Amino acid sequence: MAEKKEQFEPKIIGFLCNWCTASAADLAGTTRAQYPPNMHPIRVMCSGTVDPMYVLKALLSGADSVMIGGCHPGDCHYVSGNYKARRKIAMLKQIFKSLGLDENRIWLRWISASEGPEFARFIRQITEETRKQGPSPMASDWTV
Amino acid sequence: MQEKNGAVLVIGAGVGGIRSSLDLAESGYKVYLTDRSPGIGGTLIQLETWFPDNQCELCKLLPVFSRDECSQVCLRRDLMHPNIELIPNSRVSKLSGKEGDFKATLNIKSRWVIEERCTACDLCAQVCPVEISDEFNRGLQKRKAIYVRNPQAIPNVYIIDQEHCTKCGKCVEICPTKAVVLNKPDETKELSVGAVILSAGATELPANQMGQYGYGYYANVITNIQLERLLADAGPTHGELLRPSDNKPPRKIAILQCVGSRDMDRNYCSEVCCMYALKESMMLRERYPDAQVTIFYMDIRAFGKDYYRYHLQAKEKGVNFARSRVSRIRENPKTKNLFLLARDEAGKSISAEYDMAVLSVAQCPSPNLTELSKVMNISTNKWGFIDTPGFYITHTSRPGVFVSGSASGPSDISETVIKSSAAACEAASILAKSQKQAAEKKTVHKHQTGKEEDVKIAVYICQCGKEISSIVNIEKTKEFAKKLPNVTSVEDVGFLCLPETLDNVKQAVAKSGANRVIFAACAPYRYQRLFSDALAEAGIDASQWQLVNFQEQLAWVHKDNPTLATRKAQNLLAMAAERLRTQGPLEVPTAEMTHNCLVVGGGISGMTSALSLADQGLDVTLVEKAGELGGHSRNLYYDLIPDNPQALVKGIIDKVKSNPKIKVLLNSELSGISGHIGHFKSQIKSGDKVEQIQHGAVIIATGASDYQPTEYSYGKDARVITQHELQKRLAEGKLGKPATVVMIQCVGSRNNTHPYCNRTCCSEAITNARKIKELSPETQIFILNRDIMAYGFKEQYYTQAREAGVLFHRYEPESEPKVTAGEKALTVEWPDPALPGSLEIDADLLVLSTGYIANEGNATIAKMLAIPLTEDGFFKEIDTKFRPVDVILDGVFITGLANAPRSLAEKIIEAQAAAQRAANVLSREQLTSGRIISEVDKRRCSCCGLCVEACPFDARSLNEEEHYAVVEETLCQGCGMCVSVCPNDAAKLRGQKEKQVFSMVEIGLSA
Amino acid sequence: MTKSATLEVKDGKIRQAINGFLKDLFAKKVVKAMLVPLAHPAGTNVVQALISDPANLDNADVYAPVMPVNSAKILQAMTRLTPTDRKTAVVLRPCEMRAVVELIKLKQVQPDNLIFIGIDCPGAYSVKNYPKFVSEKKTSDDFVKAGFMWADDAMLRAGCQICEYPYPLTADISIGMLGLEPGKVILQADTAQGEAALKTLGFSIDTDSDIAKKRQAALTKLAADVKERRKKFFAKTKEEIGGIEKLTKVFASCIKCQNCRQACPVCYCRECVFISPTFELESDKYLRQAEKKGGIRMPADTLLFHLTRMNHMGNSCVGCGACEEACPNDIPLLKLFQLIGSEAQELFGYVPGRNVEEPLPASAFREKEFEWIGEK
Repeated sequence: MAEKKEQFEPKIIGFLCNWCTASAADLAGTTRAQYPPNMHPIRVMCSGTVDPMYVLKALLSGADSVMIGGCHPGDCHYVSGNYKARRKIAMLKQIFKSLGLDENRIWLRWISASEGPEFARFIRQITEETRKQGPSPMASDWTV
Repeated sequence: MQEKNGAVLVIGAGVGGIRSSLDLAESGYKVYLTDRSPGIGGTLIQLETWFPDNQCELCKLLPVFSRDECSQVCLRRDLMHPNIELIPNSRVSKLSGKEGDFKATLNIKSRWVIEERCTACDLCAQVCPVEISDEFNRGLQKRKAIYVRNPQAIPNVYIIDQEHCTKCGKCVEICPTKAVVLNKPDETKELSVGAVILSAGATELPANQMGQYGYGYYANVITNIQLERLLADAGPTHGELLRPSDNKPPRKIAILQCVGSRDMDRNYCSEVCCMYALKESMMLRERYPDAQVTIFYMDIRAFGKDYYRYHLQAKEKGVNFARSRVSRIRENPKTKNLFLLARDEAGKSISAEYDMAVLSVAQCPSPNLTELSKVMNISTNKWGFIDTPGFYITHTSRPGVFVSGSASGPSDISETVIKSSAAACEAASILAKSQKQAAEKKTVHKHQTGKEEDVKIAVYICQCGKEISSIVNIEKTKEFAKKLPNVTSVEDVGFLCLPETLDNVKQAVAKSGANRVIFAACAPYRYQRLFSDALAEAGIDASQWQLVNFQEQLAWVHKDNPTLATRKAQNLLAMAAERLRTQGPLEVPTAEMTHNCLVVGGGISGMTSALSLADQGLDVTLVEKAGELGGHSRNLYYDLIPDNPQALVKGIIDKVKSNPKIKVLLNSELSGISGHIGHFKSQIKSGDKVEQIQHGAVIIATGASDYQPTEYSYGKDARVITQHELQKRLAEGKLGKPATVVMIQCVGSRNNTHPYCNRTCCSEAITNARKIKELSPETQIFILNRDIMAYGFKEQYYTQAREAGVLFHRYEPESEPKVTAGEKALTVEWPDPALPGSLEIDADLLVLSTGYIANEGNATIAKMLAIPLTEDGFFKEIDTKFRPVDVILDGVFITGLANAPRSLAEKIIEAQAAAQRAANVLSREQLTSGRIISEVDKRRCSCCGLCVEACPFDARSLNEEEHYAVVEETLCQGCGMCVSVCPNDAAKLRGQKEKQVFSMVEIGLSA
Repeated sequence: MTKSATLEVKDGKIRQAINGFLKDLFAKKVVKAMLVPLAHPAGTNVVQALISDPANLDNADVYAPVMPVNSAKILQAMTRLTPTDRKTAVVLRPCEMRAVVELIKLKQVQPDNLIFIGIDCPGAYSVKNYPKFVSEKKTSDDFVKAGFMWADDAMLRAGCQICEYPYPLTADISIGMLGLEPGKVILQADTAQGEAALKTLGFSIDTDSDIAKKRQAALTKLAADVKERRKKFFAKTKEEIGGIEKLTKVFASCIKCQNCRQACPVCYCRECVFISPTFELESDKYLRQAEKKGGIRMPADTLLFHLTRMNHMGNSCVGCGACEEACPNDIPLLKLFQLIGSEAQELFGYVPGRNVEEPLPASAFREKEFEWIGEK
């Protein structure tokens, strides 16, 4: 009998805002909401702190997708960081689109501190979607 | 930090209690924050969002300075400040002594769970056989007899519901840490405090008391809190709105206002319900665009700053408004749909079918409050709220005991926050005099090496019984960790949080010579304080240890994938080690402080702020444009609060003039200001003379201007006057006995030019109307209005006015009253929506209720300080709810009419709140910022200014001479906005350099 | 409303007329110095020079079809630390002018005391191709008179062939020829400073003159043509380079010399992040990266470098093509940057160099925008 082909396990880097999304991640845990362990989180103070270069670095160093989690618009601890984050990600996604790269591997999502279930739902979603997309070609390309 | 003597007891740990506690703690006072419930948050944590942003932002309550003293995470997760001792599950049983020297006895109800040993693993609840209705979700789901109130409970410790516990002992048996102890006795605690702040809140009226609406037996009649829980992502339906009867999404929803308020029993307005009904209706429309939402109401009391716009927004979003009080609800037993029976404004019966009805139930005093008032010997009003005599609405009948929040009457978040800062201000004034009890001293940490080769990392992995070890392969992870660079030891322990374990770890760390520590355990908010204190004793500074979350973000969420979970565990450990390895000690920067305050504006607000600061021992310069103090309040003769405004204002003026700490500059203006918190420099212009002063903070209380009406021939016809002019005539006895007086509300406000409610004019009209009736009972008075803003206890005076024969008629903004000037009388004509056709009255006197417009000078001040104004030209607060008197620039506070229209009593508390916010920083010896702040690599900086524009806090500027950006460290909040916008890494964030992030990314992606 | 004057051209000698006008700026004491292209004695290049003696203007050749360096870069070097203390005229091609505007926003150029003289630009050849043009005994006058013919001259730099704005968007004085009969030149004053200068020189200023209108009409028509041309060009580019495989092939010849960023007028950093300590790694970090993929290209981070550069300056890219000119290995950088630049600029509704008051997309945001990002 042929050996069962191993399921592709995407590698995902997540930048989580300290105030909202990181709290939501903890809440997901407290309520034991289950999600796959493919996303490895890095806590940042604000989604607006995330330099697009971090995202590029992750995608070129082996990430199959990258997520940035921030507070909902209007709810930034630092007034407007999430609006600035959104602009930066819009720019990055546009560059990817123009160059025929897969912009759908860059995810920005607003998840507030009390949205633990939503956090778990989202990680399930990003993991499954990335799994469907398959390994990111730039993640494994040695020539990048 | 400067430590003063004195302690305060804060009763009630809702938003108000938290605000008061943080304010006092920031000023260096010891605070005992108590709550009858097992945790903090009050009503607020049942809600996920609130107006006007329909977002959370609870974190904005946190201190801006000395941030590292307080937990820097979402306030739903933690509240940690060395000066605040949180005592949940407690009630005050005795309060003796007097202002400045109280003795309070606290009864601390036992949880039957030892706090220090509970790891919140939930095993106990899983075996508990008792299921009862869950109060937090208002009965929408069940909980066990041993439970934690909500998933984000602070403190996160289980509790046994003694009333329902059957003492079967299953929880005792299963608890891995022996934390459950049935029949653990209650404790009492004696506290010595200088002042007491009562912020015990209010409660909702039990909706089943309003039998006509069928709550409790019609499944689809719910309360607004239940609606909030249903809309909450962390609620019983995960944010899906489903009808309780059939779990189907409702399509037609009715929201009923004034359920249990504004009636015979409770002749007051619940104040908060209009705004939350607007919010809920908008949320419903946004999430379910097909849903029809109708609000049944009498008046929409959207009277706060920018609330009127919010009201308009709801209309735009398609919310239906029906001006009608629903008299009954009946259910269709088959479909469980609801029929609402009501009369519209014109008296026509209406009956409509809805899928769901939401009751905006009245806020009323809790039984707890009644008990507290007795224990503390403070008087209550006729409804049982704490009585606040006179214009100082944080005062109680007992000196030294202050009240805030809804305990003295229904209050929304921003009013609660203002009252709470004001109460803190009053308490601080007492403590400043009494010098009682010192806050605890913090351990002094020794500093550690910054050189990478000397870094020695000790790793401790907590198994948390089996909670972590059953998912994460501990042995493999240990082997992995041992190979990481600079890691010198890796140990695993059963329960890191248990006192005995932590003690061992502490000693081992101290002995091992490790200078960095990683704890792989649970979420930071759980034991951060405990771990931090233990490690401090072992010589490890807060910036030199890392907590890796193996529990909430790992074991508990990846139960079915131990292999990948272990990979993640390893990577998380490696990432933390990398961060520690490349991070030297982070110092807390400090800056010098000028300990005095500039108050601009000598009206009631400015004077009150000045006095409050002086009472706390701070020097104040008070600048007033006019030749005398008092501002608008000088023209106030009557108020709905039955006290004498003239005497109040005169008293305050005298106190200000005679206070040696206050320097009053009359006929003076602020002509320039520069600098920032701790050291502002201002130019004060008095005539030709310009004086330079240095100050640490500034309070802007420059007031507003009276709206000069152009409507209704004002200024041309002597029979048309404003309410202010009417009041003056009344006071001077010059009114005479006119046969008919017509008052028109909302003149020059709530229209396109001034789309805001002036908040005070309805009260003023009612006050004046009552006064006229008192002096001349024969006079007929008509008040033409759109909504009567008789919020809170003002409602009773509205009722009294009607009882005295004052006639209230409505008009619609589309058909404003028309006035024709005749020789004998002014004829007022308008269609009253309640009546057919038009009404016509001949008036002898027409009184226009005009409000305030923003001063033109606001723009100049705003420009000097680079702070924003609202669309209406008032100063813009940084956060409407949680920081209502702060602006974006730290050290600048706004109060009084310069902020928004408010009543006299409301101005006083707001001014005290502004003073307290200023005192929080001014009373410190130095300014201290947080550890994580941004810095500049001068050599690399191109001085392009992108970071300056990106900084939300004005912490960055350019040194144009030497061409690099500079950071004002105390203003920097560490958000890192500058870092992400700087193209070449010249802007850096301490504790999170780009290089560190890159390494962590690489490591996070390891196999 | 346009304000313009006619520059008299004798015997079709445009270069001479323009040089005369420039000399007059000195003679009438409007300026004391000038940054202007001068023919290099070698005859193989025309280079920018900062002159104080108007005699040098005999060698000025504003329309010589070569642009060795984007002058914005020169102005950055000149004025970043201090603005000029004497009036200095700067003669610029439109792409140079636009880059200057971007650098003013970024505080890299201090415009005080500068008078910007822009030109309608017929394009330029590569520095290495210019001698060919000279060897055919052609002059800039011949070049200009042959018309503005981007589509037909295959030797023109790629950037010039698809230039979106071959006319100055902001200048004090524009030297206008577009749409006019060969040999006709107007001087259009677009600022008060420009108008004053022309008046000092004794020009009579016409408002909305027929000739100015004629030029304006030509610009409008040109805009439509250019749009079409660019659309085709970008579609073709996407085919050529789209997707990670093709993209890595494009950069196969990159040696990470950073000449592109060195030449780019809007890459303004004093020192690139890619040579900063952030990218100085210990050997084990390189090895770890290599282990993860089995191997990595060295020097590392080629694509990260280019993508980051696109992210940093895509919105300010004026399409001057200096990057491509500077690349020793002929990587089609102009194509790539104009592709991503123009699409990003469209996304943000931003035109680099259009207006000095227009905030850079990096430092602005709106509450209601890109709402498709972030929501469920």
